[in-house]
Amino acid sequence: MNIQTIENIVNKHQQQQGSLIAILSEIQATYSYLPTDALQAVSKMTGKSLIDIYGVATFYKYFSLQPRGKHLCSVCVGTACHVRGGEVIAEEFEGQLGVAAGQTTPDREFTLGKVACLGACALGPVAVVDGHYFSSVKKTDVKKILERARDGLDKVEVKTDQRIFPIDVSCPRCNHSLMDASHLVDGHPSIKVTTSFERTHGWVRLSCLWGSYTVESQPEIPLDTVVHFFCPHCHAELVTATSCADCGAGMVPMIVRQGGVIQICSRRGCKGHMLDLV
Amino acid sequence: MARLNSIPELKHLREIIQEDMADSRPRIVVCAGTACQASASSDIIRVAKRYLLEKQLLDKIKLRITGCHGFCEAGPFILTEPMKAFYHRVGLADVPRIIETTLEGKLVEELLYADAVTGERYRCQDDIPFFKFQQRTIFGRNQKVDPMRIYDYLATGGYKALEKTLLAMTPREVIEEVKASGLRGRGGAGFPTGRKWELLAGQPGDRGKYLVCNADEGDPGAYMDRSLLEGSPHSIIEGMLIGAYATGATHGVVYVRNEYPLAIKHLIIALRQARDLGLLGESILGSKFSFDIEIVKGAGAFVCGEETALMRSVEGKIGEPRQRPPFPVEKGINGRPTAINNVETWANVPIIIERGAAEYAKIGTRGNSGTKVFSLVGKIRNTGLVEVPMGMPIRDIVHKIGGGPSGKAAIKAVQTGGPSGGCVPYWKFDLPIDYDSLSEAGTMMGSGGMIVMDENTCMVDVAKYFMNFLKDESCGKCFTCRKGTQRMHEILDDISKGKALMEQLDLLGELAYVVKDTTMCGLGQTASNPALSTIRYFRREYQRHIFDKRCDAFVCKELVGAPCQSACPIGTEAWRYTAHLAKGEYQLAYNVIREQNPFPSVCARVCDHKCESRCKLGTTGSRPLAIRALKRFITERIDPMSYKPQRQRHEGPPERVAVVGSGPGGLTAAHYLSLMGYHVTVYEADAEPGGMLVAGVPKYRLPRDVVRKEIEALIDDNITVKCNSALGRDITIDGLFAEGNKAVFLALGAHRSRRLGIEQEDAKGCYPAMPFLRAFNLKGEKLAKGRVGVIGGGNSAIDAARVALRQEGVESVTILYRRSRQEMPAFPAEIEAALQEGVKLEELVTPTKVQVKDGQVCGVTFIRNRLGEVDQSGRRSFVPIPDSERGVTLDTLIVAIGEQILEFNPAGSEGLEYSKQGTLIADPDTLATARPGVFAGGDVITGPNTVVDAIAAGKKAAVMIHRFLRGEELRQPAERNVPRVYVEPRMLSPDEQEEARRAEPPLLSLRDRRSGFDEVEKALTQEAAAREAQRCLRCDLEFTQPKAAARPAAPGGDPSTRSQVPASA
Repeated sequence: MNIQTIENIVNKHQQQQGSLIAILSEIQATYSYLPTDALQAVSKMTGKSLIDIYGVATFYKYFSLQPRGKHLCSVCVGTACHVRGGEVIAEEFEGQLGVAAGQTTPDREFTLGKVACLGACALGPVAVVDGHYFSSVKKTDVKKILERARDGLDKVEVKTDQRIFPIDVSCPRCNHSLMDASHLVDGHPSIKVTTSFERTHGWVRLSCLWGSYTVESQPEIPLDTVVHFFCPHCHAELVTATSCADCGAGMVPMIVRQGGVIQICSRRGCKGHMLDLV
Repeated sequence: MARLNSIPELKHLREIIQEDMADSRPRIVVCAGTACQASASSDIIRVAKRYLLEKQLLDKIKLRITGCHGFCEAGPFILTEPMKAFYHRVGLADVPRIIETTLEGKLVEELLYADAVTGERYRCQDDIPFFKFQQRTIFGRNQKVDPMRIYDYLATGGYKALEKTLLAMTPREVIEEVKASGLRGRGGAGFPTGRKWELLAGQPGDRGKYLVCNADEGDPGAYMDRSLLEGSPHSIIEGMLIGAYATGATHGVVYVRNEYPLAIKHLIIALRQARDLGLLGESILGSKFSFDIEIVKGAGAFVCGEETALMRSVEGKIGEPRQRPPFPVEKGINGRPTAINNVETWANVPIIIERGAAEYAKIGTRGNSGTKVFSLVGKIRNTGLVEVPMGMPIRDIVHKIGGGPSGKAAIKAVQTGGPSGGCVPYWKFDLPIDYDSLSEAGTMMGSGGMIVMDENTCMVDVAKYFMNFLKDESCGKCFTCRKGTQRMHEILDDISKGKALMEQLDLLGELAYVVKDTTMCGLGQTASNPALSTIRYFRREYQRHIFDKRCDAFVCKELVGAPCQSACPIGTEAWRYTAHLAKGEYQLAYNVIREQNPFPSVCARVCDHKCESRCKLGTTGSRPLAIRALKRFITERIDPMSYKPQRQRHEGPPERVAVVGSGPGGLTAAHYLSLMGYHVTVYEADAEPGGMLVAGVPKYRLPRDVVRKEIEALIDDNITVKCNSALGRDITIDGLFAEGNKAVFLALGAHRSRRLGIEQEDAKGCYPAMPFLRAFNLKGEKLAKGRVGVIGGGNSAIDAARVALRQEGVESVTILYRRSRQEMPAFPAEIEAALQEGVKLEELVTPTKVQVKDGQVCGVTFIRNRLGEVDQSGRRSFVPIPDSERGVTLDTLIVAIGEQILEFNPAGSEGLEYSKQGTLIADPDTLATARPGVFAGGDVITGPNTVVDAIAAGKKAAVMIHRFLRGEELRQPAERNVPRVYVEPRMLSPDEQEEARRAEPPLLSLRDRRSGFDEVEKALTQEAAAREAQRCLRCDLEFTQPKAAARPAAPGGDPSTRSQVPASA
């Protein structure tokens, strides 16, 4: 646990309505649980008594005082899922993982949870694994779902996946192409832009495959760093007033030659992006 | 996006956008709501974008990505504009075709939405029943806007209501307007919104006031708030802006569940866009009105839906409710006046202002104006979100919009109001859906969950489910809620396990009222509703659990045990003989069958295998185990004579009992009475014993030597069979008693066919089904000639048709049925076999007249029907189409529309009572008739029924007659019918299981079937039977496995190894 991180989180939410829950939520999002020292630090920084913080941390189901696994599985046992056999699915998850709901596997791979409603009632029984919804789950599906989760549900095969395709982009300011055919990423011409962060200048080469998140950069950009992007031709900063819906950082616009605009999040590691066809 | 500083600027912007968007390009619309994303709609969107870019089609066609349209079951789907073609369950490969045909202004017919039952395709979204019967006032906007684009919202008239408010209305007028609209809180309690606002407006505002949008949709089974927030966040923002203007509120809060990331994302974007445009924040549209909204995320606590708990949660504290007064409008968040409304309530506000209160109040009924969005889910065909005017009968929602039950099981109730609500039983489905009617029926509107339950839903389990939820969610502040919900759950748990007594049910009722009366907040006050309403409407189910130890829905595990065993009317341990078969122990397997069933070989051929319909393989995604075929395999190998039943020693001189009827019911009773030492005389009206097995069931299903052999094995020294002795003709009940019989069991069967009741049905060539079958089965007479018509849709119709088809001189056989094939009561496999053999099926026709020439049938006139509403039997009814009569030429007409008992009130047998349907009346639990000492069972009391039910009646009759003769109470003590014997498992490995397919018995070739009466179904091969037996999931192991060998519960244990666990322990 990094005390600076906690301090940043506390400062960010201090002024906000109901700040304690927001602070704890972000700590939980960062560490996947609420470490004891973090709660003590929050207590010192906010002046709230530790017992009050502990009370909130244990009252709400979202918070966990135990470290959680790499993958989060929530099985819906809401009414609609219940009448369609959600309980059987939950049992199958418990059986396959060898832990009861609410527990984490000893290898810290999976944390299993039962949720009273995930809000996709029409498609029950529903399970959500790492943010991916699985609908009309059958008992026999469970094993496959867990296998896929182990491999990574976001993993895509860039070469064969028909959802992934190359786009050709240019600078929104000078309309100069940003494509660099001399340097391939994912086997296609890369998108080259210049960057700066924390007073370091460099370049980034992005995969032009929409759906691939492959990036090469010089120098290496640490995760979570917000980067300024510039056009290598007109040197204008590529920036819009829009901020990323996933993380709040600024979005970087580029014109798509075939039509439309693509915006990508300026934060390293964030997958926020929008392809607008208007 | 430039900030707008005045109302004219907003108007101008809207005009520009509308002009910009008004082009003639067609458009495809794809839903990206959470439910559709779960059905992979995001892949559809990606592929669509790829196609549009690669083919450079952007100037020819447009794409809109929207929030939820409501028809989640049909997702992922593509809607096109302006044609409104609705393509459901679209695959990635379909996308290019849909785009191309839309460009050409055409339709891809085969991908259009089709009704699952009728197969009818709909060319326009508006014609699809799911949409047609809705009134989508607030929800309709979702398909017209991309929730991430404020311009879309503006283009569809968004923020016009705000415009109108700021331009032309005083805050007082806004409140009056909302009051006049009759809008009531959509969160469930139904408090008038205008009144709430009025109270807030009357509070001093010097320290600020709060408006809250409650989006803590914790109610399991409801998700309309999520879909509104995801699909049209600006509607909520606009509603709150109007509310703030009316009440003088300064701060807005949207309290939203953390489980709804997409809703949060869209709301963040919408708030930012609204702020950028100057629609939110300081000096809105250049006026003096300022208001801003922030998002507070709930961290998962159901009780935070309660307003005082919600406020504390917004303050960042533990979400415990507090006592009211002071009410939130006086003292709310941070001590400031606060008004809380639900998402859907806010979404209604702009509509009221835009249309005017008077116009709005026309929707719905008096006192319940407007529409309500319901989440129609559970055991229903068309699941999704539906918006209907209040006052619509539940029946219309369930059947017209929902399309009726999702499977074969009939719908028995809907649950509304979530954990605070209750159930409305099917017989009350005419109830109009509004706040007041629902609360009178013992439930509540709640946020709008409508969970449909069918015969496979156990109401005790539902009550237990909710109580379990509530005991976990009770914040613990009030003792009676905290402990009361726990205790109620314990009682319900006991009932579901068959451990409870009737007194506990009374205690549950009492406790329910205590909790209701002595708790502080809504959670506790309504916590008893699920239990109370299920007890009120489904008391019988509770009694079945408590007295009979039965869960008829097959849900309560402790009572169900192994579903196959529970489903069998005679409790055959199917899992057990399957287990022996898997290990090659055929004699042991036979003994297991024979212990419960004196007719193994007969049932191996003609049983309707209720066990298979409950098999866990079938209910969890695969196909059920072929239990009947396995039984057949065993009975082929073992001689019935090899089994020596256990006999009881009878004290004193043997008593005599008479059994009338030698069908499976009569002979079963005789057999078990004989084992108990009674001397039984069985009277048979025909020349040979066997009853319906010989007279009714065709030979190609049940060869006669099989029946004879089985009956022979049953008849012992204690049993005398007298044939050619009909009740009323040769014997009387009075006479049987006079001869010294101490009791009489009537098991006559139903050998007389019901009449059509139309003109000339007595003409030559026209036969009721039973006489037709009996003539052939007993005497070999072949009555069918030429073109044969069979009227009816039950098993005897199919039997008659298939028998006719095999008779020489028959050209064709056509079954005429008044409904459609789905509604036919005959076994589906039999229908399929008949059609394969060449029997034709004419659906949806009712005969009106028999055509006769020279005293001989020459045809029949019938009228066409169409399917109508669902009737009491849970099937679609039929409605004659006027002027659709036409004739068909026939040489033989067989009427198979049901059977009755043979003789109505035979002479010398007084003292019996009969029902209107022509059946004998006997107590279904004791089989005792109105005349002491006379018992009756089987078809004679139930009407035509299955062989296994007749055997069950025979077994019960033996027990009851024995108790009667010993002067004991006529009651069979109920016991949990769960597996007790451990048989070491031999099962397929998980991988093999995945690959395995259900074994289907080989059939006689079609040619041989048409030309003779050889048995159609053959036995499985040894290899196939062994493999099929190993496919069994062995539900019994949960109850029988020795403790030490039970699957490891410790973390890391792999339960898939349980089949390999040695049983040596």
